[in-house]
Amino acid sequence: MALEDFRADAMRCTRCAYCKWIPFDHVKSWKYAKGCPSIEAGKFHSYSAGGRLVTALSLMDGRSTVTPAVEDSVFKCTMCGLCDVSCKLCRYDMEPLAAMSELRATLVEDGHVPAQVEPILKSLRTEFNMLQKPRAERGNWAKELGLKDLSKEQAEVVFHAGCRYSFDGDLGHVAKASVKILKQAGLDFGIMGENESCCGGRAHTMGHRKDMHTRATHNLTAWKKAGVKTIVTPCSDCYHAFKRLYASTEGSEIQVLHMVEIVDQLLKDGKLKLTKAVNKKVTYHDPCHLGRQGEPFVAWNGVEKKIFGQAVAYEPARPRYNGAFGIYEAPRNILKAIPGLQFVEMERIKEAAWCCGSGGGCKETYPDFALSTANQRLDEAQSTGADAIVSACPWCERNFLDANQEGASKLEVLDIIALVEQAL
Amino acid sequence: MEISRDAYRAIEDIVGAENISDDPAFLDSYAFQWLAELVRPENSHYMPRPWAVVLPATTEEVQAIHRVCNKYGIKIKPISTGWYHWAAPMKDNEPTIQIDLRRMDKIISIDEKNMVAVVEPYVTCAQLQAEVMKLGLNINIIGAGCSTSIVASASTYFGAGPSSYYMGNNSDNLLGQEWVTPGGDVVLTGSLSSDCGWFCGEGPGPSLRGVTRGNMGSRGGLGTYTKCAIKLAPWHGAAVLEPQGPPPAYRLPIPENTRVYTIGVPSWDAFAETYLNIYDNEIGYIFHRQFNLAGADLAPALWLTYLRPDGTMNDVETASKDPEMQKLADEGRISFQIILQGRSVDEVKLQDKILDAIMAKTGAYKVGRFCEQDFAEFTHMYLQRLGHKHCNFIWVGGYMGSWMQAGIPDFVKNYSPVAIDGFYRDQKQSDGLVQCGGDALMGCGSSISGGGYFGFEQFVSYDPNDKASVQACVKHMYDAIDDCKANGIPLGKEYIYLMIGWPDEQIWNDFSKAPQTFVLHFQRKIKEHFDPRELGDRNYPWLPKGMGQPNFITQS
Repeated sequence: MALEDFRADAMRCTRCAYCKWIPFDHVKSWKYAKGCPSIEAGKFHSYSAGGRLVTALSLMDGRSTVTPAVEDSVFKCTMCGLCDVSCKLCRYDMEPLAAMSELRATLVEDGHVPAQVEPILKSLRTEFNMLQKPRAERGNWAKELGLKDLSKEQAEVVFHAGCRYSFDGDLGHVAKASVKILKQAGLDFGIMGENESCCGGRAHTMGHRKDMHTRATHNLTAWKKAGVKTIVTPCSDCYHAFKRLYASTEGSEIQVLHMVEIVDQLLKDGKLKLTKAVNKKVTYHDPCHLGRQGEPFVAWNGVEKKIFGQAVAYEPARPRYNGAFGIYEAPRNILKAIPGLQFVEMERIKEAAWCCGSGGGCKETYPDFALSTANQRLDEAQSTGADAIVSACPWCERNFLDANQEGASKLEVLDIIALVEQAL
Repeated sequence: MEISRDAYRAIEDIVGAENISDDPAFLDSYAFQWLAELVRPENSHYMPRPWAVVLPATTEEVQAIHRVCNKYGIKIKPISTGWYHWAAPMKDNEPTIQIDLRRMDKIISIDEKNMVAVVEPYVTCAQLQAEVMKLGLNINIIGAGCSTSIVASASTYFGAGPSSYYMGNNSDNLLGQEWVTPGGDVVLTGSLSSDCGWFCGEGPGPSLRGVTRGNMGSRGGLGTYTKCAIKLAPWHGAAVLEPQGPPPAYRLPIPENTRVYTIGVPSWDAFAETYLNIYDNEIGYIFHRQFNLAGADLAPALWLTYLRPDGTMNDVETASKDPEMQKLADEGRISFQIILQGRSVDEVKLQDKILDAIMAKTGAYKVGRFCEQDFAEFTHMYLQRLGHKHCNFIWVGGYMGSWMQAGIPDFVKNYSPVAIDGFYRDQKQSDGLVQCGGDALMGCGSSISGGGYFGFEQFVSYDPNDKASVQACVKHMYDAIDDCKANGIPLGKEYIYLMIGWPDEQIWNDFSKAPQTFVLHFQRKIKEHFDPRELGDRNYPWLPKGMGQPNFITQS
């Protein structure tokens, strides 16, 4: 794709501003009606999906040039995809998230890269992670766990911890809890250890597509060599990268499962019993990459056609990603199965969830924006009366933990798999 | 021409550097407006680019900005949640500050006892409705949907919606206002000006509602409205709407005290008779002809596909060829949606009986498939919240509403066939318009408070990405004007839209032929008083001295 491929989207945008709000049917209060973290921070229309479509059009037509203000408006976005869901409530011919992704990639190709990104990219290219940690330390969390090393052995299932669970000391226990559950379920699986590599998904959403391609090639080659047919990960960023991005850009057909899907199935099959009470009142934060962007990928290569004279359809029919088929019920089923746990919902949930603020590379490039976005989510979580906010993504959890240190929230931040481990 | 740097710095000092921009790409995002391509040279999607955009947070900041504009002769154009070509600057080479009111987004107060809410311009209908429903109250959401600003619909535009039938038009629901005039004064209207609170739009104190908005509103042409009070209505439903199911067709369960129907009628005469009987018997909470926006021929295929989260336009095409779907299109060809809501279950049962009796009398009937639970719950959600109004653009992103003249039912039943025939003729003449049948007439059951007076808008869909399609729409607009003139019908919305692209002289020439042009001269005097430097734009209509008939017309 090229930016020009999204010209029609821009020309057909009506500036209705749905992209700034959660789906209106779900608005339950004044306070939690807004859906776009970017325009909450940037305020000008250019910080919305509709505004970025006009920016793309304006740049393509030479009406404007890339200025620092334009760079800020393009990159200060978590790419959470809420705009995409809200837009598609009423439109079948618009792909705002894909258009914004293309705009980013175009700017990057033209050399417009925020300065703060350089060391992160360097780390990705040399250490295979974006956390600027030594590659050699990647497998440390699994030492003494006796797991199969798939760089030397074979297994059909690989457990991919991801960068954050591998290197973040506050979250590493989730990777251990995950493999404990997989072992208890009797699954034959292994890990790549220090040869595990970043999925590259964050690089892709930041506009650095070649870097994701390099990581994808590395990972897919390693998995093929190890005979892997299924990837299991507790990280929603990795899940999205493997399930959607690898499928769409690399043609990968490998099965991808998030840990919540595994646990949900094990509970349904009676292969996992949660017996210990966890006496907490919790609410659940839907990670964007597991929820509305976690829908299955459907390959499509088609063209626009007109029906009824001027209405837009596609030949063949274009798959529709509107958040309807994200992973929403599995984590809720798990929480409801934990003895003693009281589960309460926030106002903005599932496809209408407010982003944690970490996505789109904003945790790295715009940390203040990321934290202010997280604080708004923590405020919403606190309004439910919950003691803890639970999620299924280490990037959300890291950002919430950091926001907790600076903000007013006293909420405990928990990973859903860690909760399951407590209940075993 | 660049804005004076002195002026820029003066405004920057008011709002802070982070709240003003003259970056060309940022400005383009305000110039790019719906309908621009129908009126701009070369069918450009851009209205004139503002010279700067500014984000004030308070009335004081708005006033200070207006005063800087007066000092430097810069035009003023406020925008809230809005879209529409008239939300942008009107003329090229005319320095205009776009005042984006998104930071003024607070609900100031909700007076539950007196059923009044006071809001800032960036509060949407959805937000206020969600809050007042918790108190057993509701607001009239305008036809453009719940994404719209309450201040905009009440203070500066028509303000009619599906619930106007029960709750009144927002032009009537408008109570006290806080208005920053183009000249930079803060004017309080109605009871607010006598320090009596927000409860009344017509006094005690100066009755300025007719000055500030009239029937149609000034559409940002006469300064900035920074707060307004809006009359609330009773709500007998749940405190919080809990939509069910996946997107896009969320469903709202129908409680015992509510009924949701799609009613078909055999003719336009029967439509008018049914409407009048419903109105006379004072039943109904919402009255709207909603789903026909897709065109009577295609509505069942579209909306039954829309119920499926994975449905595509290709499915609509397939469904449209199904004989059963065509039968359903005929069944619902002249139809409307009505929601009955009772204060009790007994009351809604009574309304139901009355509706049955009316239908028996007029030959109306329930359109079976559209009254089944899944579609009725979808209809309930759609019309209570109006959160899917962007479906106006569902076919291809371009929609222009022609006609929309409001009047008594006999007037509407007479012009509807003319509008249908004209639209059908234009569809047949060119592939430039979506071929959805001649009847894409949609509209609410009231254009004034309490019903008895309404109108329909013809939903003309075209592709903004196809110049030939855009031009086919423009041709239809002029055809509709000709159809009106040929049939003695007042001109409709297409005329108001087209006017945005005309030079002043052409507009004034037309205005000078209007009946009772003294009104436009009176408005000139209002403008001279409140906008001595002409910083508001021509969305506030007026006539220069010496044009038209300046005096009262006396009938002999």
